[in-house]
Amino acid sequence: MKGRLLAFSLAIATVALVVVGTLWGNQSAISVSDAKARLMASSRSPQDAVTNLALAIGRKDWKAAYASLANKGEFSQSEFIHDVAGNYGSLRTYAALDGFDVKPVHASADEAQVRCKLRWAAVVGNFQDVRDLRVVRTGDRWQVVWPIVREPKVPPQVIPVNYLRWDVIYRGPGDDWGAQDVESPHVRIVAMHPVDRGGGVAVMGELLNEDIVPAFVTVKATLLGSKGAAIASGDSSDKISHVLLPKQVSPFRIDFPGIRLSQVDSVRMQPFATLVSASADPVVEIESQKLNPVPEASLTGELVNQSGQVVNIAHVIGTFYDNRGQIIWVGDDYPTRALLPQEPVPFLISLPADVSSKVGSFRAVVSTYSLSRFQ
Amino acid sequence: MARLHHVKRTGRPIPLAIVFLVTFLIHGPLLLMKLPLKSYDTNFHIFFASHYAHHWFDPWNPKWYAGFSQMTYPPLPQQWIALLSHVISLDMAYMLVQLVAILLLALGAYRFAALWVDRRAATYAALASVLLGSEAFLVYSAGQLSTTFAAPLYLNALPYLYEWLRRNNWRSLLKGSALAVAAAAAHHATLLFGSVLFAIPVIALAFRDVREDTQRSETGVVFRTLFVVILVGITIAVVLLPFWIALISYPVTQTPIPHPSRANYILSPQWGLNYFLVPYGALVFAFPFILFRGSSMSRLRPLLLGFWVAFLLGLGGTTPVAGLLLGRAFEVLTMERFTYWATLLALPFVGLLAKELIDRYQWRAATVLVLAAGLTCSLAVAWASYRPADAEDFKVDTVAAWLNRDGHDRYRYVTLGFGNKISRLAVLTDAGSVDGEWNSGRMLPELTEHGAGALTSSKYFGKAGLDALIAMLQHADRYGLKWVFVKDPFYEPLLVFSGWRRVDDLEERTITIWAKDDVPPASPISSLREPPQWQGLLWGILPMASCLLAMLLVLIPDRRWVEHEVIDHSPPEENLALGRLIS
Repeated sequence: MKGRLLAFSLAIATVALVVVGTLWGNQSAISVSDAKARLMASSRSPQDAVTNLALAIGRKDWKAAYASLANKGEFSQSEFIHDVAGNYGSLRTYAALDGFDVKPVHASADEAQVRCKLRWAAVVGNFQDVRDLRVVRTGDRWQVVWPIVREPKVPPQVIPVNYLRWDVIYRGPGDDWGAQDVESPHVRIVAMHPVDRGGGVAVMGELLNEDIVPAFVTVKATLLGSKGAAIASGDSSDKISHVLLPKQVSPFRIDFPGIRLSQVDSVRMQPFATLVSASADPVVEIESQKLNPVPEASLTGELVNQSGQVVNIAHVIGTFYDNRGQIIWVGDDYPTRALLPQEPVPFLISLPADVSSKVGSFRAVVSTYSLSRFQ
Repeated sequence: MARLHHVKRTGRPIPLAIVFLVTFLIHGPLLLMKLPLKSYDTNFHIFFASHYAHHWFDPWNPKWYAGFSQMTYPPLPQQWIALLSHVISLDMAYMLVQLVAILLLALGAYRFAALWVDRRAATYAALASVLLGSEAFLVYSAGQLSTTFAAPLYLNALPYLYEWLRRNNWRSLLKGSALAVAAAAAHHATLLFGSVLFAIPVIALAFRDVREDTQRSETGVVFRTLFVVILVGITIAVVLLPFWIALISYPVTQTPIPHPSRANYILSPQWGLNYFLVPYGALVFAFPFILFRGSSMSRLRPLLLGFWVAFLLGLGGTTPVAGLLLGRAFEVLTMERFTYWATLLALPFVGLLAKELIDRYQWRAATVLVLAAGLTCSLAVAWASYRPADAEDFKVDTVAAWLNRDGHDRYRYVTLGFGNKISRLAVLTDAGSVDGEWNSGRMLPELTEHGAGALTSSKYFGKAGLDALIAMLQHADRYGLKWVFVKDPFYEPLLVFSGWRRVDDLEERTITIWAKDDVPPASPISSLREPPQWQGLLWGILPMASCLLAMLLVLIPDRRWVEHEVIDHSPPEENLALGRLIS
């Protein structure tokens, strides 16, 4: 009898523990894609419906996500996937859902609006996708009406391309990497301005390629203390346009978190340049640029790819000057959609609130990544 | 019930030689095929062994993390590989050491099971251990050499310690202690967690048996328990002294890294398949028997409870038990080892079940049992191919050759998309990397602050992984990091926009090489964690010495205990109906 009691106790305890672990589980210690795994709720509320949709997107369970939509008859599953997860090798295709927040905006008996903030971790950083979703009641459950953003269809056309290109003939196969028999291109820092920003120092400036050949450039900065000792050093990383054609200028920004400007006596700047093959293609125009005031202080505009090739990922770097022409901020943005020929893609470069009021002028440059160039 | 009275009990124990032969026949060819090389951790162990082979007394390894101490991981199996690699290749040395571990498990399973069940059932348990799904899973899919090396040593040590506790046998004390210390020198997690799960049921059994033995007192068992705990504890403290110094000086405080073995297997059934069904296999059908037979016989209850706790812990996040019992360790350990230990604790029950089934159904039961065990083992072995650690198999020899020529190894490198090939690459190249696969040994803040594993697999860790990679690329100058080898084009946009230039390619352009201009050559990173010379000497001498001593002591003949017999393990008649649940 004692044995049976023990057996049943252990069995019941095991089942109870599994139930507790499943209903109130904490999945934070497991893989990212499943970190929010939980029993699918039955979509008995608008928030549940949106949460279930976000969970399915996080798991890349597109079939379930698409099936849960109220307006799925308006678009195909692949159109839905391309809207959410990107297409044409855009930044979205290099991203995974890292988390999401669901917030009800308003609700009635049969309809509700819910704000869903999807946080994506992309290869070049993170971005957010905020969607105001209409949720409708269908019988005893709620379904999301997905606000589809369809991909533009590029009409058949011929795009004449006429651009400059520089080729470099290296010494030959088997030569050491990067060994070049030519002088490095001449580049010069034409402006430099260190500022205190966000609990650290930001060194901003502009770099000019003075040469007649293209240059692959980077800028390093070393902060020096009062006795000339180096406090910290860093480089421009992705806050610069690395390929500069002749006479082109790129802004740069180098961040030093955790350091105060008062600690810095001087800054040693080191521009580096290497001769590389380059071309002016693809040409990307920046249109409809507009400076927006606080509270959404930003520079917005549209990128238009003038070439006939798809630009998979674009990087916009904005330089902001005060009325005296001094650089006061360098910011950037990676639009999440690919640049199809002739199709405008919006961008948004955020500005610190205190900077936006001082901006007298601005300039933006674009660098690009195209898959075809690396295949 | 009437049928039960006519059950014939005519079976004989399987000779251990047959068990060993089966082990050779099953695992010998698989290891000769070097199947474990596809697993997650095998190359990691070979990398450590490679370092010991060249620098036996210097555990500071500069090839990963810009320098790290191998004293953060007990060295015994890897040192054996290093020793044998002077005779055979590193790979074959690994396979040989792994085969010895599997053989030791068969022996240990028999000896451990013989504490609980009769000799015949114990031999069935030993045979079952050869086909155990969890063993095959750890050997061929996870590549956990140290875990599978340490557990058999504990299983072999415990019967000696039981003899000491029950019969005050000094010879057994020496043998058991030496084996336990050798096991500790093989794996720290098994020492800290597994040994407790194994030892407590055995101690409880010793108390129970002494209570029934009118000539001995329980007080003596208390003293002998304390004595052996202190003796083994002190010896382990000395043998692994550099490990403890490293652990106390630099406790693992880095941001926890997610691992799917901590998942809720119901909410994430793909991980339930991986970490529950594959390791347990047909053993799940024995659960009712384990539960009811373990409960009905007082002798087996400690073992049942040990199994139950290990079972719950092995369920990872499916229950709150692992998080509550292990605390912070839950975020550091991987849970599949608890499943492994649970299956080892289940082996005596399995042996008993097999014996009763064979007694009742003769060859039909034997056939079904062999089929079930064979399928379990096959599935676990095949799992390494169905769910390989690396989706793509490729050679890294050309990468190593590229790094080793023209002074490229004056700089450090990192790989992207290489998976566990980074260990193989580290064995082959002279260059150092800022990445690695031994997360507890790393000190670079770019790696410890984000909660991601190896940089080469950054994308699988989401934001944490990509943040760590971006931070490391931004600090390339600091570490002399000049080369990035890319197997996965996913990372190319990051390199393009952050100032890396493609300079070469290998393996028909499937691996591209990216460089950063004007990075200074790598210089040694001074680390407080670099151990002094005397610790290197201890590390090179004591763990191996403890193992050699255990081997010598085990050769001393045992005293025969005439009365050693685990009586009839059939349950009282009233419980037989429960036993029928599985038949």
